[in-house]
Amino acid sequence: MSDVLLEVDTIHTFIGQFHILEGVSLKVRTGSITALLGRNGAGKTTTLRSIMGLNPPRSGSIRLAGEPINGRPAYEIAQLGVGYVPEHRAIFRDLTVEENLRLAERKRGDLAKRSDFIMSLFPDLKRFYRHPGGKLSGGQQQMLAIARALVADNRLLLIDEPSEGLAPIIVEQIVAALRQMAAETTILLVEQNFAMAAQLADEYYILDDGRSVQHGRMADLVHDHATIDKYLGAG
Amino acid sequence: MIEWIQRRRGLIAGIIAAILFAMWASSQYEPRVLASILLSGLTLGALYFLVTSGLSLIFGLMDVLNFAHGTLFMIGAYIGFTLYANPRLLLNTLPFVLAFVAGWLLARWLPFSSLPAGHRRPLWVVAVLVGVFAVWGFELAPLATTALSSGGRVPTEQAQAPVGLFIARTLGLAIAGLIAGAAFIIGSEHARRPANRDLAWPIGLLALALIIAPLRLSAEGWILALDSNTRFLLALVAGAGGGAALGGLMEWSLIRPLYSRPIYQVLVTLGLVFVGTELVKGIWGPGGYFMELPAWFSRRGPSCPSPNLIAWLQDNCASIDVLGRPFPSYRIFIIALGIAMFIGIAVLLRYTRLGMIIRAGVQDGEMVQALGINVRRVFTLVFALGAGLAALGGVAAAPFLGISPGLGQEFQLQAFIAVVIGGMGSFTGAAIGALLVGLARAFGDQIVLTGIQLPWMSEAMTFSPSIARASTVLIMALVLLLRPAGLFGKKE
Repeated sequence: MSDVLLEVDTIHTFIGQFHILEGVSLKVRTGSITALLGRNGAGKTTTLRSIMGLNPPRSGSIRLAGEPINGRPAYEIAQLGVGYVPEHRAIFRDLTVEENLRLAERKRGDLAKRSDFIMSLFPDLKRFYRHPGGKLSGGQQQMLAIARALVADNRLLLIDEPSEGLAPIIVEQIVAALRQMAAETTILLVEQNFAMAAQLADEYYILDDGRSVQHGRMADLVHDHATIDKYLGAG
Repeated sequence: MIEWIQRRRGLIAGIIAAILFAMWASSQYEPRVLASILLSGLTLGALYFLVTSGLSLIFGLMDVLNFAHGTLFMIGAYIGFTLYANPRLLLNTLPFVLAFVAGWLLARWLPFSSLPAGHRRPLWVVAVLVGVFAVWGFELAPLATTALSSGGRVPTEQAQAPVGLFIARTLGLAIAGLIAGAAFIIGSEHARRPANRDLAWPIGLLALALIIAPLRLSAEGWILALDSNTRFLLALVAGAGGGAALGGLMEWSLIRPLYSRPIYQVLVTLGLVFVGTELVKGIWGPGGYFMELPAWFSRRGPSCPSPNLIAWLQDNCASIDVLGRPFPSYRIFIIALGIAMFIGIAVLLRYTRLGMIIRAGVQDGEMVQALGINVRRVFTLVFALGAGLAALGGVAAAPFLGISPGLGQEFQLQAFIAVVIGGMGSFTGAAIGALLVGLARAFGDQIVLTGIQLPWMSEAMTFSPSIARASTVLIMALVLLLRPAGLFGKKE
């Protein structure tokens, strides 16, 4: 089991009074892309936020490379090498593209070191380097949000719905970029767009009503229409 | 073109309103009267700005409405004034504070951390007992009052207490700090973690306390022998520094545990207004003080008022000639201080990493955390910065407005109005709001003084003095009708 980077074990997370996660367990292998699937409200975003320490779980455990991280503040979890690309991107709208990226530096020189790689993935960012993040299009903002997670040396990236609300051509660019990133890092991906998730992921976990109900190899899931209809179909 | 106008209609409306107002004002008043109204408005605006900038940054970054900001302004004035006119009070109490903090920090190096959490409460009690025992019989009042009535020269009996006893009290407080620090640490996450092995702080603070203790009488003489300008600069630094330290302490101890309960937070800051006011009355007495102007701004003589700013640099007159009317030079200094702080903060926000974190945090503090930045530490820093700015404003206002326990509240109210006008959380908004409120007060005062002469009236229309105070509220109401989020506020 030495190649498991992230291990989430039966976490229970509450938001206010609401019991959102009722025992989610999953494992992410080093170097893989793992997709977290499920309907709206199944608890995918909350799972990512729990791992990140933004909604700390009330019970259960989360280990990063064997080290327990649950209960630690979000900034410490990030410093351990976890990058977060949230739902709706959370770009700093008043900061320029450059400042958005610079803010993500954890050591001086991080950005200089990774800049070429980032700009090769997302050439648009170079063009708008000194523009405020709020002036970018939705697709460019998504690229910036992903790029921001690449600035520091991250072992694990948590990416929440990167295709949400984007035109198919932009989604293709992002898929290509994620694929390139996967060569260097490990990704836990939440995605509603099943076609996109199927293209990218090696493994999948399905959440339903705050529980992890099924997991396996993505290659098997694409042919399992019963499961897809049961947990991922509309309605 | 039309689109451009539509996009900037707020700005255009503002400029038109300003031009109309300027036309009205220049028909109403002679240029020299107008100039001194404007300068008075700028003076008030600069003071308001020092309060609103911190208030707005703190609200923008951490959603805390700090009602005690005006209290920090007032305490800054008292601290600065004390160093300026009665350093005895500071020199006889500072070692106690330093020793307590040193003891607190030192607790991390002692094996206290292995104690079970159950020892917490008894340790707190012991710390309080030791602290009370250490300062038993030490009276503040003689230090605060008699020094002033005697011109600050004659050491009081209290200040002449034997050095041995004074050092014993200092060490007693260090021990109290040590025990309190231990009570704070045990059973908490600090105990688990390897302590920050930098011993320089606690040892340095304790050494400083023990150096001041025997020297406090002569140090008092040195400070009072300095010329008033140097003492004034020291007062600005001490007031701002003291205010920043208090602000940081306040965030760390009272505000931080309540981030998830914003209503309690507001109540705590509101409560601190009363605590702060009573504390100040307890230490300095309920009466007010007057802080003398330093020599730079107080010379009178045949060549005064100075014909212009350049001449003032030479002759340091108390007032400067502005279009034939004398205007106090100290108020020009306040304006300059306000402008310098505005530029300073703008540069900090624009060009430093801390500034970048603050700007990002105003928009989305959670995402800043998720990038690996300890936002809580930035919160404390910004709280201290804002408090320091307000306290600096307090020291600057002291020679101009006088010092009294009620000083903070008037400023607090006007500063809130200014922040609301400018838009909560916007730094530019805080500056513009402060300027508008300052100008409104100055024009309001003038209108109360002379009334308004309208062409079709034989006599000037007169107003009651409350119009000056009401004017700022009227502006606020008008701005909120047109732009509910304030001039520079972001729409939710």
